[in-house]
Amino acid sequence: MVPESPRFVQRQGGIPRDAENVTGEASAPLLTVPGADPCWDDSAGSVTRDRQRREGLDMFRIAMIVCGGMGGTHARCYGNIPGAEVAAVMDSDSEAASRLAASIGARPFTDADAMLSAVKPDIVDVCVPTPWHAEYVCLAAAHRPRGIVVEKPMGRTIADCERMIAACAEAGVPLFPAQVLRFFPEFAAARSQVLAGAVGEVACVRTRRGGPFPRAWRNWYGKYAWSGGIALDLIIHDFDWLRWTFGEVERVYARGLSAGQSATNPELEVEKDYALVTLRFVSGVIGHVEGTWADPGGFKVSFEVAGNEGLLEYSFNQPASPPYIAALELADSGRAAVPVPESPTAVNPYQRELEHFLDCLAKGVAPSVTPEDGMEAVRIALAVNESAAHNQAVALR
Amino acid sequence: MSVRIGIMSMAHMHAYSYAGAINEIAEAELVGIADHDLARARESAAQFSTQAFASYEDLLKADIQAVVIGSENVRHRELCEMAAAAGKHILCEKPLATTVADAEAMIAACRYAGVQLMTAFPCRFSPAMARLKATVDSGQAGAILAIRGTNRGRCPFGWFVQKELSGGGAVIDHTVHVTDLMRWITGQEVAEVYAETSNRMFGQDFEDIGFLTMAFDKGVFATLDSSWSRPKSFPTWGDVTMNVTCERGVLTLDMFSQNLVVYSDRTGGVSWVPWGSNIDLLMLQSFVAAVRDGTPVPITGEDGLRAVEVALAAYRSAESGKVVAVR
Repeated sequence: MVPESPRFVQRQGGIPRDAENVTGEASAPLLTVPGADPCWDDSAGSVTRDRQRREGLDMFRIAMIVCGGMGGTHARCYGNIPGAEVAAVMDSDSEAASRLAASIGARPFTDADAMLSAVKPDIVDVCVPTPWHAEYVCLAAAHRPRGIVVEKPMGRTIADCERMIAACAEAGVPLFPAQVLRFFPEFAAARSQVLAGAVGEVACVRTRRGGPFPRAWRNWYGKYAWSGGIALDLIIHDFDWLRWTFGEVERVYARGLSAGQSATNPELEVEKDYALVTLRFVSGVIGHVEGTWADPGGFKVSFEVAGNEGLLEYSFNQPASPPYIAALELADSGRAAVPVPESPTAVNPYQRELEHFLDCLAKGVAPSVTPEDGMEAVRIALAVNESAAHNQAVALR
Repeated sequence: MSVRIGIMSMAHMHAYSYAGAINEIAEAELVGIADHDLARARESAAQFSTQAFASYEDLLKADIQAVVIGSENVRHRELCEMAAAAGKHILCEKPLATTVADAEAMIAACRYAGVQLMTAFPCRFSPAMARLKATVDSGQAGAILAIRGTNRGRCPFGWFVQKELSGGGAVIDHTVHVTDLMRWITGQEVAEVYAETSNRMFGQDFEDIGFLTMAFDKGVFATLDSSWSRPKSFPTWGDVTMNVTCERGVLTLDMFSQNLVVYSDRTGGVSWVPWGSNIDLLMLQSFVAAVRDGTPVPITGEDGLRAVEVALAAYRSAESGKVVAVR
């Protein structure tokens, strides 16, 4: 299913607020600093180090097929990577294309094919809403760039993913699904600890991710036909990290506010979503993933891994808690006044992710995230929706 | 006039907390303790400045109006039926029983004898929980949509991991508290359960990991982690948490988070020293008041049975891999 071509309408002041909420970093600061780009990191230390590392290496000219929140985030990250330059941005909304292009010194386009023909980019970065990924990735592959980045979730369906993988394989173009959680230092460190046996043999793992409902272009996050709901759009991050850390998933069982209705109601559109997912891994590890787009108390992320010799915990924006918290929407605005959480690192994870891909292309080695990884994460998320729809466990293998 | 109470069995560690609570309540008197382990009866009687009885029968012949049952789970029914036949009101440790038949027999015996049966769910008396309940009842948050709960702990070992005494492992031990809280705040009954369990923490013949998903009869869904997944080095025994997603907000409960953090070179570790209200004491005060005034106990045998049914359904689900109906 490919709906009409997207037109991305930006709102006032820089990046729209529909920047994807992975940690809250990408969008939350905009609540108080309109127009500021929280992704941008000009830490002198990291730039110097990166410049030294990349000196003498290839230049990469990027063409962006954008323009939701993540498109702007990626564009600004490239601007911070020595050796990378965003040459062109495409948005079917010419005003949006011009605005982003002007802010980063790139050429604006409203037609992807025209852009790719004119610019002949090294990298094509596809950050359009999910159902258009396959169309644009396949188009980009036909122009044979050196590499293609596709925002998560890789595709709306497994067929979409297979189509992209086939097109890129045929064209000989590396395809990099942007499963950015692997580049968040806390998640990478947790995986390293687990693999090093810090908690012994793992018995169970729990993750939590979410905050308020993301408002965006045409409420596309709320349209299940487009976004796949909270499982495919939000907690797919956790599914990818879990699979990366604990191996393949044997079966899932899920209940959600809306996930179960998506199978029978293709027009399903929500303004709040919540899901609770139990996963059984082939290893015997049992997992639990909580995803929320219904928490006015701000964006929060946490996880724990328990094993026979210990317990590992992480919490973002959930400090040692009082025994009771009521986070309620204000009666007049529906929006709660909350402090903006930040957890700054020298190089933000989105930049680290894109830099990894460019480094791999420069060195001629395979990126650490494969197109199959992107597809398997989609498979888990779709199984969650299927489980919720049929009220039974869904086997993945 | 004070309410005179006896304790039947100190097998469960909570019985020690209840004994201490009775001694703190001015209008209650701990008349004595009986236990199938006579030495334990004597030691605990000395600890709580009361007398040991040589048998349950002797205790029930004494001048008492009520008993607290703190035995191993499978012995609850026998002790409950004895106490009911002797006309004593009963506060029974959770889980109420290990089978539906036992729980129903207990409820029937108490009804027949005209005595009250209260299930020991002290979490309902947590002041933080009371705030959550009050917020829900006020309607300020709108209807409850979903709940994510945990009751994780360290493995207690001992008879808790001997199925012939406990009826199971982590699931029967740790499902009932939060299930009861969820029933209480939603006003709904659990209709269906799906569960994944394993024994990967200890690799023995009892389940130490239990992840339940519940569907309530009027639409709320919930998950509950009932695992014994806290390591020995964890700074406290475990937790009771709930994240209640409502139409107009989220209510977050971390019931046992009122602690001092102590880093001790003497013990070589970190520990949490609780300073929050004693919920066992609050529960005993409630039981004593009901017995004294002849008013209904706030948490009944039926409440205990409903929670046991969910735990038993979790075992059936884990066994079959299917979503199962609770009743």
